[in-house]
Amino acid sequence: MLSLTLSGVSISFAGLAQPVLSIDDLTVPAGGRLAVTGASGSGKSTFVNLVSGLERPGRGTIRWRDTDITTLSESRRDRWRAANVGLVMQDFHLFPGLTAADNVLLPARLARAATAEVKARALALLARVGLSRPGQSVETMSRGEMQRVAVARALLRRPGVIIADEPTASLDAEAGAEVGRLLIELADQEGATLIVVSHDERLTERLDRRIRLAAGRVVADTAAEVSP
Amino acid sequence: MIRFVFADLRRLWAASLVIVLLVALATALGVAVTLQERALRLGSARAADKFDLIVGAPGSETQLVLSSVFLQPAALPLMPGDVLTKLVADPRVAWAAPIGFGDNFSGYPIVGTTTALISGTTTGFVAGGMFAHEGEAVVGSGVDLAIGAEVKPMHGAAGEGGETHADSIYHVVGKLHPTGTAWDRAILVPIQAVWHIHGLGEDHDHEEDGHDEHAAADHEGETGEAHHHHGHIDADARLDEDFDHEVPGLPTVLVKPKTIADAYKLRQEYRTDGTTRAVFPAEVLTGLYATLGDARAVLMYVAYGAQALIAAALMLIAVIHVAQRRKQIGALRAFGAPRLAVFGIVWLELLLLVAIGVGLGFGLGYGAAEFLAGLFTAQSGVRLPVEFTAADAGLATAFLAVAALMAALPAALAYRQSPVEALRG
Repeated sequence: MLSLTLSGVSISFAGLAQPVLSIDDLTVPAGGRLAVTGASGSGKSTFVNLVSGLERPGRGTIRWRDTDITTLSESRRDRWRAANVGLVMQDFHLFPGLTAADNVLLPARLARAATAEVKARALALLARVGLSRPGQSVETMSRGEMQRVAVARALLRRPGVIIADEPTASLDAEAGAEVGRLLIELADQEGATLIVVSHDERLTERLDRRIRLAAGRVVADTAAEVSP
Repeated sequence: MIRFVFADLRRLWAASLVIVLLVALATALGVAVTLQERALRLGSARAADKFDLIVGAPGSETQLVLSSVFLQPAALPLMPGDVLTKLVADPRVAWAAPIGFGDNFSGYPIVGTTTALISGTTTGFVAGGMFAHEGEAVVGSGVDLAIGAEVKPMHGAAGEGGETHADSIYHVVGKLHPTGTAWDRAILVPIQAVWHIHGLGEDHDHEEDGHDEHAAADHEGETGEAHHHHGHIDADARLDEDFDHEVPGLPTVLVKPKTIADAYKLRQEYRTDGTTRAVFPAEVLTGLYATLGDARAVLMYVAYGAQALIAAALMLIAVIHVAQRRKQIGALRAFGAPRLAVFGIVWLELLLLVAIGVGLGFGLGYGAAEFLAGLFTAQSGVRLPVEFTAADAGLATAFLAVAALMAALPAALAYRQSPVEALRG
């Protein structure tokens, strides 16, 4: 379980006058549930990239508990992310030709972290997300099933934080509701901090705190409304 | 990682197959050229192995070797018969035997010679035995004739309007073990029979053709094609292999010297003599190999060119492929695969395809060389040994080393790719 503190974070891209994202101060306690909403182009994806360590801000610190990931090298950030972050993305990013179980295990295998315990956990997680056939090839699955494989993959290495980027956007309402429910339940069960970027209100409404981004800035924050 | 690589290749099997085939063809081209050239060299050297020294009339040394070792039909000039008489009597000579050509039967050359040559150049009989009478013949292993079969000699090549010697018939009495030389396709008969058919030499019992020893002597110096004076064989006459008097003109004599020193002395002696020419077939072949080697070099450059083109095409495919899959590669990184693992996957996939291609190419090249050697053997009787040597392992290693280096480029592209940009795109 990791707490998140952003301070003075700003990132600009060449050719753009305005920073794409600028957050002076944002804290999510360990085990917190944060929803990030906003129109497309508001900086949501950049937010995910920054907090997951895929991208480094121009300035500012992004601290997960004691680790400021902005100071880590690219390889160190890769390693930190592999060990601490469970990512769920809109497009699943499963690898065709592999079974559900192999997909869940792939990142761990490539990082040489697939112990017998991890393998057993992969099967248990697949069962937990309601998939009874771990040997099924992913390209034969429905979109909802694919996203559930992705959720199992995200949880494999007991991450301190689960970051989901539009996890329900490419699913129908029923499958989306199921994936949303699984994310919240599993974050509780595993004791992971949960950050969900989504415009799916049925999902975001179930989280403790919602912030809304516009033009790279936080324009609304439910936490601020409750305790200014 | 291996599992992912295999799953990936299986999914992209069509493209993988094309790459493997391209590599295989490029490899096979070089391998076939190398193997075929080596087989020709080894095969011809082995065919000439038993032919220590050949003495013939002055003329082309190459033609002398081609005609005697490889039984290539050609009109050789004749040398005086007493050359054989002298050689047989020479104390430095283990044995010397005439080789007379000109006739053939069903496409097989009929070679007149002696029991000494047959014993000296072959390993014995599969069936039957040596000829003992003038009308008997021994066939090489590649001649499709059974013991007891009749051989009606035809003068000149069948395709060139040759004439048959209607009243002369040989009977096959023996079949030789394979030697892997052109002589496997030859029908061997006593030299005296060849002389008699062409109205040359002594006629022990039959004088009805009206030519005598003087008439035969008049033929000395004529070419093999010039005989119009026909006789026929005396099928039951005993062999006469003394050659001590009145031997007709001969195209070639195969000489087995007692020692290497003798061989050089004999060559020297019969080379300076104005009426004869003595050659070591091995030496003539070495000269031919030099030419063959030049041809091989040209073919190898062609093969290298093809390989370079295919390597360039593969690089292009690989770089485009990595670009197309940047999203997938980015995702691997995002989900926690180390950069080195990404490098490894791309590198291993390419190297695996090239390795399979190279392996297949060696098989394909071997098959092609074997096939060509088979065609050559069927036509000439000379067995071409298609075989790999240690140098070929070096070639395979070199191919793989180059492939490993080249695969590193697209792998490095994948390694350097930023996952964020990949996922955004």
